[in-house]
Amino acid sequence: MTALERLVRTPIAALEFANTVLTERDAPIGTTPKDVIWTHRTTTLYRYRSANRRYPVPVLLVFALINRPDIFDLRRGHSFVEFLLDEGYDVFMVDWGVPDESDSDQGLDYYVCDEIPSAIRETLRASGQDEISMLGWCIGGTLSLIHCGLFPDTPVRNLLLLTTPVDTSGSLYFNWTARDSFDVDHVAEVYGSVPGRSIDWANKMMKPVTNYWTTYRRLWQAIYDGESRPEAYQAMAKWVADNPPFPGKAYREWITYMYKENRLVRERLRIRGRRVDLRDVDQNVLVVTAGADHIAPRQGTLPLLDMVGSEDVTHFDRPGGHIGLMAGSRARKEIWPDIAEWLAERSER
Amino acid sequence: MADKPNQDGAPAPTPEQEVRRLYEEAETRVARAAERVVSRDSFGELLAMVTENAVALTRIGNEAMDLVLRNLRVASRQDINRLTRQLGRTEDKLEQVLQEVEELRDELGSSSNGTARSRSGGASRSSGASDSRRRNTRRSSGSS
Repeated sequence: MTALERLVRTPIAALEFANTVLTERDAPIGTTPKDVIWTHRTTTLYRYRSANRRYPVPVLLVFALINRPDIFDLRRGHSFVEFLLDEGYDVFMVDWGVPDESDSDQGLDYYVCDEIPSAIRETLRASGQDEISMLGWCIGGTLSLIHCGLFPDTPVRNLLLLTTPVDTSGSLYFNWTARDSFDVDHVAEVYGSVPGRSIDWANKMMKPVTNYWTTYRRLWQAIYDGESRPEAYQAMAKWVADNPPFPGKAYREWITYMYKENRLVRERLRIRGRRVDLRDVDQNVLVVTAGADHIAPRQGTLPLLDMVGSEDVTHFDRPGGHIGLMAGSRARKEIWPDIAEWLAERSER
Repeated sequence: MADKPNQDGAPAPTPEQEVRRLYEEAETRVARAAERVVSRDSFGELLAMVTENAVALTRIGNEAMDLVLRNLRVASRQDINRLTRQLGRTEDKLEQVLQEVEELRDELGSSSNGTARSRSGGASRSSGASDSRRRNTRRSSGSS
């Protein structure tokens, strides 16, 4: 590029950069057609329309309580939901909605004992089947796991856990929240529902330079070099910026049970008076970890492989981060086909 | 200048490419240093203190605003939350009733089907939900 070309290119690139950043909220995400099957309080169960159903056992997707489940269906051509539909699965997804202060009384038990069982029930009714595959991601994975440990008779045939925290000791979150000076009760009591932006800020502070600077620098570089894919950047940026509040009671229990007291791995977790026994998890279990996951590090998930009572436990470890593993540009080639293959072997009648 | 090959036979980097490489290297180092900083105990303490202050300020602001609204005889956020919670509890009860009704309807449907089948001499089939689960005795750990 000559000096003159550079001179001309810079203001054009600046304009394009500003346009990409300023219009990211307009990016279409979660566009695969879906129907509302069931609603309760803020929770909604969706069913995706499929014309290519081959496997009878439906797949129920359960996402975390932070961020929105649109990451399963980020954008056309890069949607895990779309991929599963093409593979021939009947796909359902739980959306926890956007809780507010009035939902501050919803604890982990509400999700594990009320909402997940109801979502499973409605999935079975809508699909006409008697078993499902449940795929949980991040906190959604932990909630799904706790549910299976608490209800041995749950009609879940296959349990897929993606970047799921189990043993949190040694993680950065543990370092931040397990200390006595972090008064989680006080935070939950005052906020009612902990603002999503605070949680997003904490997540970003784990890699401050990468999240607050490198992302934008790389976007600028790509635009300047004429190699940018604004739709990819905007879809992900929009999803990252969409942070629903974390219901106060659930937040307090999540931090206390999982970080301050690390109860799940110590077999001390009790929900509604019943102990969660992972030996009762007898589903076919697939555990997926990401090598560069700083939110739910791989070593914090691995104890699960020996804790569950299942005879069929498979572990996939892939390069990538907490979200990039499943939603990154390489996910469609590197991890989705493996998940679909694992599921296909276990989804026949 | 740009095309002059280096020892590997690859074209030598232009000054611009070299500047970019050096910059990216510096940025990576700063990023790693920042990650080390945030993983320190002292940063954790700082974070806890900042959170505590933010929570205290929020509480003061909320209480003051609620007091103003209450004195103006206008419903405050607390009042609206109380009302919404009551609505939530009512919805919970309705959901339970709905599930009970659906289960009863299913039971009624299946029992009337069974009666119809036995009248016509047909044998009823069990769904065998638990029997249909395949148990694989594989415990693998495939990583790439």
